[in-house]
Amino acid sequence: MNRSLWFVLLAVALIAVACTAPAAAPSSSSAPASSSASASSVAAEPIILGVPTALGTIEGGDSLKAAQMAVDEINAKGGVSVGGKKRPLKIVSIDTREAEAGIPVNDALAAVEKLILEQKPHAIVVGAFRSEVLPASMDLIAKYKIPYMTSIGMSPTLQQKVTEDYAKYKYVFRNGLNSSYLVMYLNETMKFLGTEFGFKKAYLAYQDVAWAKGTAGGVEAWFKSNGWEVVGSDAYPTGATEFSSSLNKAKDGKAQVFVPIFDMPQSGILLKQARATQLPAVLAGFISPVAPATAWKTFEGDVDGMVNFIFEIGPLPVKGIPASVTFNDNFAKKYGEEARAKMSGHGPGPAYDSVYIFAAAIEKAGSLDADAVVTALEATDYNGVVGRVKFGKDHQAVYGLDPKEASVGAAFQWRNGNRVPVFPAVAAESKIQLPTFK
Amino acid sequence: MTITFRKERLDRGIKARSADIYALASWRELAYLLAPRMLLIGGVLAFPLLRGLVDAYWLRVMLMACTIALLALSWDLMASVGLVSLGQAMFFGIGGYITGYLSSTLKWPPFITIPIATVAGALLCATLLYPVLRLRGIYFALITLSLPQLFERIIEATKILGGTDGMSGLTPLPDITISLYVIIAVLFATFFGFRRLIDSDYGLVFKGIRDNDRSVIAAGINIYWYKAQAVFIAGLPATFAGAFMTHYNQFVGMSSFAADYSVLPLTSTVVGGIGVFAGALLGAFLLVPISEVLRAYGTLRVVIYCIALVVFVVGRPEGIFRYAQRKYHQFERPVAVEE
Amino acid sequence: MFASILVNGLVNSVILILTALGFSLTFGLSRVANFAVGGLYLFAGFAAWIFLRILGLPYAVAILLAIILTGILGAIIYQVLLVRVRGIELSEVIATFAVGVAILETFRWAGFVTYEFNLPSFFKGRLEILGTVIDYQRLIVIGVGLFLAVALWWFTHHTKIGLGLRGIAQDEHTALTLGIESDWAAMLSVAIGSALTAVAAVVILPLGIISINVGYEVLLLAIAVSVLGGLESTVGLVIAGLILGYAQVLTANFLGPQWMLVVYLAAIVTVLAVRPSGLLGRFKEIEERV
Repeated sequence: MNRSLWFVLLAVALIAVACTAPAAAPSSSSAPASSSASASSVAAEPIILGVPTALGTIEGGDSLKAAQMAVDEINAKGGVSVGGKKRPLKIVSIDTREAEAGIPVNDALAAVEKLILEQKPHAIVVGAFRSEVLPASMDLIAKYKIPYMTSIGMSPTLQQKVTEDYAKYKYVFRNGLNSSYLVMYLNETMKFLGTEFGFKKAYLAYQDVAWAKGTAGGVEAWFKSNGWEVVGSDAYPTGATEFSSSLNKAKDGKAQVFVPIFDMPQSGILLKQARATQLPAVLAGFISPVAPATAWKTFEGDVDGMVNFIFEIGPLPVKGIPASVTFNDNFAKKYGEEARAKMSGHGPGPAYDSVYIFAAAIEKAGSLDADAVVTALEATDYNGVVGRVKFGKDHQAVYGLDPKEASVGAAFQWRNGNRVPVFPAVAAESKIQLPTFK
Repeated sequence: MTITFRKERLDRGIKARSADIYALASWRELAYLLAPRMLLIGGVLAFPLLRGLVDAYWLRVMLMACTIALLALSWDLMASVGLVSLGQAMFFGIGGYITGYLSSTLKWPPFITIPIATVAGALLCATLLYPVLRLRGIYFALITLSLPQLFERIIEATKILGGTDGMSGLTPLPDITISLYVIIAVLFATFFGFRRLIDSDYGLVFKGIRDNDRSVIAAGINIYWYKAQAVFIAGLPATFAGAFMTHYNQFVGMSSFAADYSVLPLTSTVVGGIGVFAGALLGAFLLVPISEVLRAYGTLRVVIYCIALVVFVVGRPEGIFRYAQRKYHQFERPVAVEE
Repeated sequence: MFASILVNGLVNSVILILTALGFSLTFGLSRVANFAVGGLYLFAGFAAWIFLRILGLPYAVAILLAIILTGILGAIIYQVLLVRVRGIELSEVIATFAVGVAILETFRWAGFVTYEFNLPSFFKGRLEILGTVIDYQRLIVIGVGLFLAVALWWFTHHTKIGLGLRGIAQDEHTALTLGIESDWAAMLSVAIGSALTAVAAVVILPLGIISINVGYEVLLLAIAVSVLGGLESTVGLVIAGLILGYAQVLTANFLGPQWMLVVYLAAIVTVLAVRPSGLLGRFKEIEERV
């Protein structure tokens, strides 16, 4: 019996150790939730916005913060009027952990369903993180008929499903960037590199997930039809940490542009390895840990010269879009300058906007009825931090180059510790420069 | 002289009295025999009826518990032939993919695809494992640990069967109450079927192979053929679980081979007690709801499973079921030990 | 192209050998299959990170402390858990596997998941061999790996302790009659194996980042290399490491990186199905299969 006592002690000790460890992820995700409780001092029954996503990721965590900020702003102004009555907004979130490689999609779906059944949200914002989870959760949404606006998941399957079976999937919208628009942006950048520096040889390395595959495929097709030579194109499993084979092949094949497309935290190491192999090519693409302002320090300057995308304006203050500057100021005021500097390049902007878009649609519909809200959402024409938001027939927000016409993403180049916006014209403060290859 | 005591265990009177046909003589004895059994069966059967009373989400949890229980029963039957698996996810995933493929390409309804996936999946698994059935112990465990990951990577690399995207939008199952009763019926059929099987002469061969395979060979029995049959039979509930959950979620993807579907059944059986199918059942119905309660703690719940696994493997290898059974049937008293 | 395959293949092979050394050594010395190596590997990495970045210790001290701590953790795992299930192989496997996953998931839960968790290279810089650029850290990896492989071979074949430990793996009862205390020796083997895993971690991790998935991968790699080489043979381990390392680079080059893991897993499955004692393993086959 002493033996079993031993094990109980061990178990208790282990749990105690676990509890005292720096619990960065859980505490940061619970902070916004607590502030919502204090904000909803308005008496009326709140309108519930569900946020089921991978809160442990920077994209998921920051999007939740941005959405919470929008909710607090709206509540401070009295809330949303539904049928003549002002009602506050309230965010309830659940961590689906879907970004982690080992988590079954079923488990992520279980989390979404738990949120839907227990909290009964009137609408869902931020939405699925992993490309694989988005189409699967669309079936769940179709079952429960809740307006759903995703700001992170980029899978092109969303539009396909909405177009094919509109009646079933009409509840799903996306105001974040999708793969085809990212392809458009990347192509514009490549066109610039081609005309400005005469580059004709490129190498692609991407994560083996739907959105990155789609993006890489689109960029590759553009290269081929525009007379570029694609030296190679490699898919990496999520979680991979060794990219040397692609980098070496790119070097041997004398590629002038290296296009990485990754959204996993591990992918940052690609830069370090690119420096180690002395790859003499411009890196232009998307590596999620390279997007925040703190990346220079994290990678000890190895990011110098890389052209990285900010999928949606918002995390990068752009003078051409005043709302994005205000957004950054307010974010820094609410969560601190450090949090702002670390903000992810994908998610927060549209997540912030989506709350306002929902508020407007609910006021317009005059009720919380899902079908009425969907009809109102379809007619959305809203000027937010990402530019002008309008949805296409396939429920995807239109992205373009002019914030007066469409939502806009941007590219910046790392130079001497600063993110210098280089694309599109409305945001650019400078042109892309060739980095000095050390 | 100091007197030391040791514990002595004795059967309760009521156990002796109810051991025979005389149990029928009194309600008390009958209740003694039936109460624990009925509590479990009745509890499981009645749960879906609580729909209005409990949160709808808990019905889904029950579904998950039944799934894990099926996988755990499957694990336990394989263990009874001496095949210790670290990869029940393989059965789960193969069942899911077969049904997913049939449903998405041929558009067959679930009541056709699920049975086909169950039988064909178990057959496929038995065929795949046949060449490695010669292995024992840790070597077989290593193979089963690698196989689900191998399938996952092959699907990722070859981009077949939907590749990393998986297949979504499959035909849904009917209402959750009906779904629950279907899976509960299958669960009970498996449970009682396995119990009967392992007590039959056929099952005796299984246990013989586990305890001393060489003497079974010496008896002129082809143990590999028997092991293959055991894998097939054990595969049936596991592939069914995979196929069923695939239709419930309307989705199948690489993550159907995830380690969760290997670790949870293993933990359930170890916690409940290896070698008694009731232990596997009990373990699953304890662990899955606990893990739901802990969902808010994220991956901490995996840590808690692991601690439970270690505590039971090392400290209480008999499992909860045998412990409870002993307490139910016997009492303890201290007896003086003469020096 | 050829030269880069040659050099990168060597780097990869040595990384594999290093990763598998701890696991293989423990199994070869005491037949304890320590499935917690993935957890120990990351434990060492995060420990070094904490000492370096939070406590601000010098890098060398941080590394040394991390290695020692991991060795001690291994000894604790043996003394608290394994000693009670010693000899029941599957319980050992399940218990160590669970401990490994518990360590990994505790770190994940505690938020050790972002790209900030990386260790710096020992020396910055690089040189060119056969037209292929290779940085100093990779050279260090090769040096440490080859040194350890040779040192361990010598330790297990030419020192009293090493020979005594191997005696236990071969026949515990006979070893006992010769005065080798099996529990003590087994604890030592687990501790040394854990410390070796920690060495691998602190040398290899500066090449990438410390991410939880690496922990799961390490277990897989360690198993693949050890199984292919024969679970207790140092020479077999080196040969298996070279085969898998080059196979990995060739696959990445000619088939694409997504096939790399398939190579390992297929290697485990094929070798176990065809020749369970591995390329150079000498444990009698009849013990593993009937």
